[in-house]
Amino acid sequence: MFIQANALTQAMIDNDWLFPAAECVHIASFALAIGTIALVDLSLLDVGLRRKAAAQIARSTSLWTLTGLVLIIFTGFLLFASDPDMYLRNSSFRFKITCLVLAIIYNYTIHRKVALSENGSGIGTKLVAGVSLALWISVVFGGLFIAFV
Amino acid sequence: MSLASFVHWLEQRDWAMDFAGSAYFYPIVLATHLTCIAIFGGMILITNLRLLGWVLRSESVSDVVGRLRPWKWGGLVLMVTCGALLAGSEAGKYYGNPYFWTKMTLLALLIVHSLVFRRSVYRNTAELDRAEVMPGRAKLAAALSLILWIGVVTAGRMIGYYEGPVPLADSVTPAGASPR
Repeated sequence: MFIQANALTQAMIDNDWLFPAAECVHIASFALAIGTIALVDLSLLDVGLRRKAAAQIARSTSLWTLTGLVLIIFTGFLLFASDPDMYLRNSSFRFKITCLVLAIIYNYTIHRKVALSENGSGIGTKLVAGVSLALWISVVFGGLFIAFV
Repeated sequence: MSLASFVHWLEQRDWAMDFAGSAYFYPIVLATHLTCIAIFGGMILITNLRLLGWVLRSESVSDVVGRLRPWKWGGLVLMVTCGALLAGSEAGKYYGNPYFWTKMTLLALLIVHSLVFRRSVYRNTAELDRAEVMPGRAKLAAALSLILWIGVVTAGRMIGYYEGPVPLADSVTPAGASPR
C-alpha cells in the first residue's frame, strides 16, 4: 500500500495540474453526493420535497449518491497521495476522515432504514435527518480547515 | 470613481481589515461557501438532472423546480454573501485575478441563461410535465446550466492558485541591497 502510495505521490508531484484537477472533481462530486443525501434529509424534515416523497427520492438518487461517493473517495485518495505524511499529521484531516467514515456508515444503515420506511415524521425521524446533515457538513468544514490548521 | 479606486477604498474599511486580521473568519466563510455548494449546488445539479430525465422521475418537474426554488434562492443569497465577504476581505488580490473574473463572467452568463429559459422552461413546468417527451429546449437549458456551474466551481477553486505577476522592482535586486 505504501509502495503504491509512493508511486502515486511521484505522479502527483510530476504532474502539477493533477492536484487542482482532482480537487475540482472532488468538489463537484460532493455537490452530487452530499446534495442528493441532503435532499433526502430535507424531505425527512418535511421541507423541500415532501415527507411522503422521501422513500422515492432515496431510491431514485441512490445510484447518483454512490457515484458521487466513489468519485469523492477516488479523488480524495489522489489528493492524499500527493503528501501522505502531511495529511496524516493534520488534525483537521483526521477529523474529516473520522466524520466521513461515520457519515458513510450512518448513511447506509440508520439513515437508509428511516428514509425508506415511508412513515414516521416524529422527532426521531427529524433527528436522524439532522444528524446526517451535521455529519456531512462536518466533513466539508473538516476538509476546508486542512489548509488552515 | 473607477473600479480600482473602489477596491482600494474597500480594502481600507475597518470591517474588511478586521476580517483579514481575524485568522478564522476567512476559513469559516469559505467553509460555509463550500457547504452551500454541497447543499444548494446539489439542488441545482438535481434540478438539471431531473430536466434531463435522469433522476427523480417519480416527482413532477413542477414539484422539483417549484418546491426547491425558494431553497435555491436562499442558498444563492448565502453564497453571494459569503463570496462578497471573501472578495471584500482580499479585494486587492481578487482584482487582478483572472480566475475570479472568469468566475464572475460565468455567473453573469448564468443570469442570462435564467432569463433566456425562464418562459419556456423554468416558469413553464406544467407544460413540461404534460409533454410526453421532455422538450429539447428543457434539456438544453439543463445541459448548459450544468456546464456553466461546473465552470463556476472550477474557476472558483482556481482563484486560490493564482499568484499574480511579480512586479519588476521585486524581481531585480540591485547589488548590495537587501531584498524587500
